[in-house]
Amino acid sequence: MSPQGNGRRFAADDSDVIVVIGSGAGGGTLASELCQRGAKVVLIEAGRHHQPEDFINDEWASLNQLAWLDSRTTSGSWRIAREFPNLPAWTCKTVGGTTVHWAGCCPRFKEWEFRIRSEHGPIDGASLLDWPIGLSDLEPYYDAAEDRLGVTRTNGIPAPPANNNFKVMGNGARRAGYTGVSTGRMAFNTVPRDGRPATIQDGFNYQGDKQRAHWSTLTTEIPKAGKTGRLDLRPESMVIRIEHDDSGRVTGVVYVDPEGSEQRQKARLVCVACNAIETARLLLNSASPQFPDGLANSSGQVGRNYMRHLTGAVFATFDKPVRMYRGETMAGIVTDESRNDPGRGFVGGYYLQLHSLGPAFLSTFLRPRAWGRDFAAIMEQYDHMAGMWLVGEDLPQAGNRVTLNCEVRDQFGQPVPNVHVDDHPNEVAMREHAYAAGESVYAAVDALRTFRVPPYPTTHNLGTARMSARPEDGVVNEFGRAHDVPNLLVSDGSVMTTAAAANPTLTIVALALRQADYIEQQLTAGAL
Amino acid sequence: MYPHDALPDEVYARVGEKLAEAAREDSGAARTIEDGVAALNSGRPFAGLPADEQLQVLKEIEGSDFFELVRSTAVTEVYSDQRTWKLVGYEGASFDKGGYVDRGFNDLDWLPDPESAS
Repeated sequence: MSPQGNGRRFAADDSDVIVVIGSGAGGGTLASELCQRGAKVVLIEAGRHHQPEDFINDEWASLNQLAWLDSRTTSGSWRIAREFPNLPAWTCKTVGGTTVHWAGCCPRFKEWEFRIRSEHGPIDGASLLDWPIGLSDLEPYYDAAEDRLGVTRTNGIPAPPANNNFKVMGNGARRAGYTGVSTGRMAFNTVPRDGRPATIQDGFNYQGDKQRAHWSTLTTEIPKAGKTGRLDLRPESMVIRIEHDDSGRVTGVVYVDPEGSEQRQKARLVCVACNAIETARLLLNSASPQFPDGLANSSGQVGRNYMRHLTGAVFATFDKPVRMYRGETMAGIVTDESRNDPGRGFVGGYYLQLHSLGPAFLSTFLRPRAWGRDFAAIMEQYDHMAGMWLVGEDLPQAGNRVTLNCEVRDQFGQPVPNVHVDDHPNEVAMREHAYAAGESVYAAVDALRTFRVPPYPTTHNLGTARMSARPEDGVVNEFGRAHDVPNLLVSDGSVMTTAAAANPTLTIVALALRQADYIEQQLTAGAL
Repeated sequence: MYPHDALPDEVYARVGEKLAEAAREDSGAARTIEDGVAALNSGRPFAGLPADEQLQVLKEIEGSDFFELVRSTAVTEVYSDQRTWKLVGYEGASFDKGGYVDRGFNDLDWLPDPESAS
């Protein structure tokens, strides 16, 4: 029995419950919000219910504990398909979802980032579309989300202090002429808040935060939902199909329980929040005679427009020690390049963000497949190394998509997702620019040597069930409600019409809060 | 493949143990290792070659399934080993010691605190 679900169990045939699939930033927040507004929620999560004290501060062991490692395949020209063919994304399979692994960067989207089709005009190869909402629609929810997450530099919360890695990046950025340089807006406590302590700067973020200084749905939203007595949390339960009736309304879900038995849970509403790859896969795997191409897919857009952000990293060595691993991993940002300036040779913007890896992951990602004495000598410079991550907007492309690979089945007998990505020339140009920017930052503080690190499996997975004003252009409306199915909603980053440059979690939470308002209004009006 | 002269042989012995474990658990891996080792020793035995010739042989098989299995196992084992961490100056888990908040998270002294935008 789950300690944080208060043991509440709703009947399998209780068609008054709302089923939320996935307990991360979108699903965990939505479930919490709905419970607090009086709804009965069954929150179904594929992963186990780990507690922070169980987290492992050792990179590979932690990956094996928390990451989504179920079988997946890849195709396309992106490097991931060659170097990490079965690990296209670094997301989590655990109660709390990927918020457990999140470092906490909280930039908001910019006004123009909601309407890049209008801003840029058509771009060859890209399936650009304006969001059906703008920044002003989301601003009140950004305010609420920042308060909820306890974002530093908002709501009177003190800024994070500069750590060693930031001293290098921050000084370098200033000397290189950048001005938008700071320790950032971060979702970890710099002072005790919301029943959680201030950070002890223990250096582990991606492996889960043992001390609970970071916001995650595991340590905030889910316990709060549990206290209402209206949360039925079902961990280790993999939803394999969403079912519907002849009228095209969703009736419930079929999942495999921890003992391996199939269960059916009825529902008045189903909210899908499985992260972009699994959300698309579940809709596609829910195909039926009435919906032969998958649920909510009359547009053919389910799975398409998969985005994962420009990624890449720059590391540098110095003649004096840095010890980049001490302190909050990503507490530092340079915002100057996040503007839209096509004069740079690409549209959209990017951020430079503080970043550190331990020797285990650095040796795998710094130069994939490198070996030999030269590489070992680089690794011996580890404590003299500084690092940054490059995160920027990647453009949606119709062919970058999640499809079902029926040749490969998972442990539940279901077709696994295949993730196909071809790099767009815009992204290639942006990455080159970002590498050069990162190198200039480190050169300004006398780096001995800099390293351009290619993209590795990322945590930002977006766009496979995108919002659109017109049903033929996307999967859901501005509130995440499926165009085709009245009582089916999507509640995660899949709904993002375009990706913006910002880390997506704050926006996913803001969208979930907006969706909760909408669900409440619609239920009250009898319209859902 | 990841030579650090200061590391004891036991660190590298772990790579062999891991490969033996993989061979026991996965017949495909066992076959890859068996065939790979046989190919390595098809001429003069690999272990008896001087270091520069060993390196040459490894370069010739770089990218093969056998090479990748050994390399990926080696990189994971060598850089997850606390003896390697000590050598490269990584302190590992700090939670039980109270983190670095009072133990040098900001002790870099060769640069000033950067000016922070609001």
